[in-house]
Amino acid sequence: MKKENAIEVKNMTKKFNVFYDKANTLKEKIMFWNRSDKETRVVLKNINLDIKKGETVALVGVNGSGKSTLLKLMTKIIYPTKGTVKTSGKLTSLLELGAGFHPDFSGRENIYFNASIFGLSKKDIDARLDEIIDFSELREFIDNPVRTYSSGMYMRLAFSVAINVDADILLIDEILAVGDQHFQDKCFSKLEELRDSDKTIVIVTHNLNSIKKLCNRAIWINNGEVKMDGNCSEIVDAYLKECK
Amino acid sequence: MSLVSDIKNYFEFLKSNVKKDIRGKYKGSFLGILWSFINPLLSVLVYAIVFPYIMRMKVENYLIYLITGMIPWTFFTSAINTGIVSILSNADIIKKVYFPRILLPISAVTSALVNFGISCIIVLLFCVFGGVGVSYHLIWLPVIALIQYILLLGITFILSSVEMYMRDIEHIITFVLAMAFYVTPILYSPDIFPDNLSWILKINPMAHLIYAYRDIFLYHRNPSMIGLGIVLLFAILVFIIGYSIFEKLQKGFAEEV
Repeated sequence: MKKENAIEVKNMTKKFNVFYDKANTLKEKIMFWNRSDKETRVVLKNINLDIKKGETVALVGVNGSGKSTLLKLMTKIIYPTKGTVKTSGKLTSLLELGAGFHPDFSGRENIYFNASIFGLSKKDIDARLDEIIDFSELREFIDNPVRTYSSGMYMRLAFSVAINVDADILLIDEILAVGDQHFQDKCFSKLEELRDSDKTIVIVTHNLNSIKKLCNRAIWINNGEVKMDGNCSEIVDAYLKECK
Repeated sequence: MSLVSDIKNYFEFLKSNVKKDIRGKYKGSFLGILWSFINPLLSVLVYAIVFPYIMRMKVENYLIYLITGMIPWTFFTSAINTGIVSILSNADIIKKVYFPRILLPISAVTSALVNFGISCIIVLLFCVFGGVGVSYHLIWLPVIALIQYILLLGITFILSSVEMYMRDIEHIITFVLAMAFYVTPILYSPDIFPDNLSWILKINPMAHLIYAYRDIFLYHRNPSMIGLGIVLLFAILVFIIGYSIFEKLQKGFAEEV
């Protein structure tokens, strides 16, 4: 892996097996051993990408083009069928907010639990606790159980934890629309702040106006292949033209 | 080894997971965590009535004999039962966040270990008030518990990862554990076991661990070093095999749930 790269994807192919009727138990496996109702779907074809440290990259493309799969491969939630995906440095993914929140525990306890999933120690979380609570603007509710929160409050808490983890690489999927206008603006300026520091950010979103402002590079993925890669606003314009 | 650094980096996760397990299990019940002691005690009570009076079993200090077998056995089964589904029941986080998956079976077994540790206090109370007393041989307790912990980790690594691809394992294991209960000298003393089948007790690692627990709690003597040593070697072997199976299978977990 090259030193200046944060993420390296080499000759990477990802296939999914799509079962029409999946045999999950032993009985089914024995009874229907010859049943081959499965189809292999190639989601990503021979992708080669280098994302440099400090870059802010947007992934654009129509639904089902493989953007989110690529993001999941970078987080190591799933693994490539062929080729390699390498990352360097601490990585946080905001694929879905509030993963592992326990409804009966208080907001404060959930901050500890959620942040520990990202690999933070108790000391790290203690140091960030105030910042997280302030960012979420939930100070008066922080000791109430999370099940009493509205969905907006829930999202705000989850976003505040994820954004304050202090990772080197941040992977974000479709979550720029969190909370009300005020909170959205706040998230956006936090992302701008992270962009201007030395963090690497990869974003998947359909909100093209905001990525034009935020990102300096865009990658257009079409049918599992990289169609265009380069300056963000050029690619967004080309993508918009094609969509019409 | 990456396992060591995973545990170090995600220690807080492990800790809060264990806390969540222990606290969440009996949420909403009046007696709360007390149930994890009451349950084995109640089954001890049943056996303590059934075996001496109905089956006319004769073992000295039968109640303490039972408890020193039942409590380690509860540790064994509860770790396996929660460990086996530890990945499946966390499917929602597995699909969304990366963290070393192996921490899930580890935290299930660790929760069972913590429960066992607290249950040992009850065993001690029985020893003190049951007229058996306690002795310095108890310093062996952490060693024996550690050997059982390593063995359980290895077993749950294998079972929890295979469970993801074949959900039958869960039901097969329920049966296997029920069988194993009767080929482990918990209710009876090993000398009543049929001679031509005594090899089963010899190859049963839990039998050796329970002998060791009884040696230190009940008979106040040092456990058999050869027995413990062989179980330790076996536990390490199972642990290594389990770890490598888990590492092979874990890449597909997010696609299997």
